Amino acid sequence: MKIIACYSNKGGVGKTATSVNLAYLYANAGFTVLLCDLDPQGASGFYLRVKPSKKLTDARFFEDVERFTKSIRASDFEGLDVLPANMTFRDFDVFLSRMRNRRSRLKKALVAAGSDYDVIILDCPPNFSTLSENIFKAADQIVVPVIPTTLSERTFDQLVSFFDAKKLPKKKLKAFFSMVQRRKTLHQDTMDVMKKLYRKRFLNSSIPFTADIERMGQNRAPVSVYAPRSAASSAYQDLYDEIESGVVSNT
Amino acid sequence: MAGDSSFFVIPGALDEARFSKSLRGLVAKLDDAKPAQSFELLDCHDQSLRASGKVLIETGGSLHLLKDGQTTSQRCKGKGKFVQNLPAGPVRDALADFPELRALMSVGAGRIVNRAFAILDDLQKTQVRGTVMTLSSDRGQVSLVAVQPLRGYDRAFNTACEYLKTTAPGATGVEPLFKGLFPDLTVYKAKPEIRIGTQEPSIEVATDIVRTYISVARQNEAGVIADIDTEFLHDYRVSLRRVRSVISLFKGVFSPEQTADLKREFSDLMAPTGRVRDLDVYLLEKDDYFRLIPPQLHDGARAMFKQFEKERSQALGRLSRRFRSQAYDQQMTRLAEVFADPANLQPGPNADRTAYEYACALIWKRYRKTCKLARSITPDTPDEDVHELRIDCKKLRYLMEFFAPLFDAKAFKTIIKPLKKLQDNLGLFNDFSVQQEALLGFVQQHSNTQGRADAQLALSVGGLIAVLDQRQNAERDRVIANFQLFDSPDIRHLFRSLFHHKGD
Repeated sequence: MKIIACYSNKGGVGKTATSVNLAYLYANAGFTVLLCDLDPQGASGFYLRVKPSKKLTDARFFEDVERFTKSIRASDFEGLDVLPANMTFRDFDVFLSRMRNRRSRLKKALVAAGSDYDVIILDCPPNFSTLSENIFKAADQIVVPVIPTTLSERTFDQLVSFFDAKKLPKKKLKAFFSMVQRRKTLHQDTMDVMKKLYRKRFLNSSIPFTADIERMGQNRAPVSVYAPRSAASSAYQDLYDEIESGVVSNT
Repeated sequence: MAGDSSFFVIPGALDEARFSKSLRGLVAKLDDAKPAQSFELLDCHDQSLRASGKVLIETGGSLHLLKDGQTTSQRCKGKGKFVQNLPAGPVRDALADFPELRALMSVGAGRIVNRAFAILDDLQKTQVRGTVMTLSSDRGQVSLVAVQPLRGYDRAFNTACEYLKTTAPGATGVEPLFKGLFPDLTVYKAKPEIRIGTQEPSIEVATDIVRTYISVARQNEAGVIADIDTEFLHDYRVSLRRVRSVISLFKGVFSPEQTADLKREFSDLMAPTGRVRDLDVYLLEKDDYFRLIPPQLHDGARAMFKQFEKERSQALGRLSRRFRSQAYDQQMTRLAEVFADPANLQPGPNADRTAYEYACALIWKRYRKTCKLARSITPDTPDEDVHELRIDCKKLRYLMEFFAPLFDAKAFKTIIKPLKKLQDNLGLFNDFSVQQEALLGFVQQHSNTQGRADAQLALSVGGLIAVLDQRQNAERDRVIANFQLFDSPDIRHLFRSLFHHKGD
């Protein structure tokens, strides 16, 4: 089982769109995927038309496998399930690591309940908190969308500093440029600077700023579903390929 | 990761509007219907698929097998084929226990329309998925609705199932499908249940059995003519053999003249079927024959089987013409009419003996006769006596089967088990002997006036006869031991207590 966290300490960077599209592409590739909506705004569930479930905030929730598995909803797409929870939970990392451990009771209970997923994608809340720190520890990869602007540059610096301060493995960080407008010199310049500064942290793929992605809110579906031949759709596909198999697209 | 789907057979088409209305705030949305395709419902003559709760539909060059609400599909045609000859695939695997000698045939046809549906909430989120397969025939329409739950949406799934349950009240399994589409389709039974009362006059029992088996025989004629599989002719012959054994074993039930007339008439009906059946048996055992002899001798055997195939098609042609003839149809209709009422028959001295008492007397007598002959058999007894024993056992078995409803089923089962073993043994002994004669006859038939035959052919046949003779001897050696199993003190006691009442 693989845990991928979609995280940004700044809001409005396309984090939820990334979570939903990546989750869809993993499921489309034949993996069984659970998308966990940890963002209090509950937007990834919204994009998949899954209504938020009630009262999933208390800590006992994760000790109660039955309540956990009962809260999972199937999306409209084969292999992709959603946990529409708005939760803050101290020992979430313990939960995640138990989920991964073949011999743990939790894992066995999840397998029995049909909740043994190949990939878990976490749509994380945009802040530094105990929960996000726990997630950084438990996740295999932390996918970080960065808009190539001065402000985003600052927040990414903060994230890396946070990793340094907490002695977290920076290798997990997979940043990519999001909402890129290539015509803007500021975007180009910022990308050049940041790629030089964080050579190992940035993926090659980037997601453009397009109306197709903005329309996700209206269509309430992954981009590849309603605009399969769009630039946005192929950008997400490239991002998926690079995250999953390290394949770097030439475009 | 969804739970088990549910499956409903509902009469008529699925009413989209009423379905939606029942869903409490949710909406059922059916995909546009694709153009109707023709379908054929496949099964074998005795509808063994139907009996095991399965439905096999052939449409658009694919087979779809429905069982327990699950559909398995395979791209291939099945009509007229044997299951073991289908290309490998999931449908063939699921039909593994289908009778090997039975071909798939069309038992009904019509038009089919497939549609998928989704049950959506106010956000257009799919909460339940499903498919509707609507089948129509000249006689009616049924829809097969499969509903698939989606994780976390149990309530919508249960609501949908509730509605569908009310549209298909009380009906379960595949029977509503057969009843809705093909209400006139009767289930063929090679051995129908015949009720007998203990005090029923024996002539009534005899006419009931004969009438039943004339009807069973007639139900096989079309299948013989269409040459669907070899079981049709086999069942036809078994039915007539049962008729003949009633006439000859129920001694004194009909007048001596009528008994003689009927014996002759049914014997004449059987005669034209014998050659086709013999050839069927040879051809069914073709692979076994080839295994009996070394590959060097296969050329001659191949030539022989080619000849058999040719002869079979000629013999079957003659038999089919006979079955289609008016004279034959009139004869069978007349016989059926005669046996419709015991009053049409001339009673013999035993006609009014009550069934139970008569059955005991017949079975006890036959049992004693069989045992007497069996006990006299030693390794030196001539083959003719062993053949005689086979026939006696057969008669005993037939009598017991005819009268079985009058006796304790458990006791009968105990007796029949070792009797069947002995009969199988004697049957093989007989088959090996008959086959040797037939092979010799075949070579003689294909010899010139000087008695010279084709060397390849003669070699193969010689090889076969040698093996068959060894097998026949081996079977013969087993007869004494198998009889001793049947002749155990327990079985003897059972026979006595069931059929021999002191003071009778």
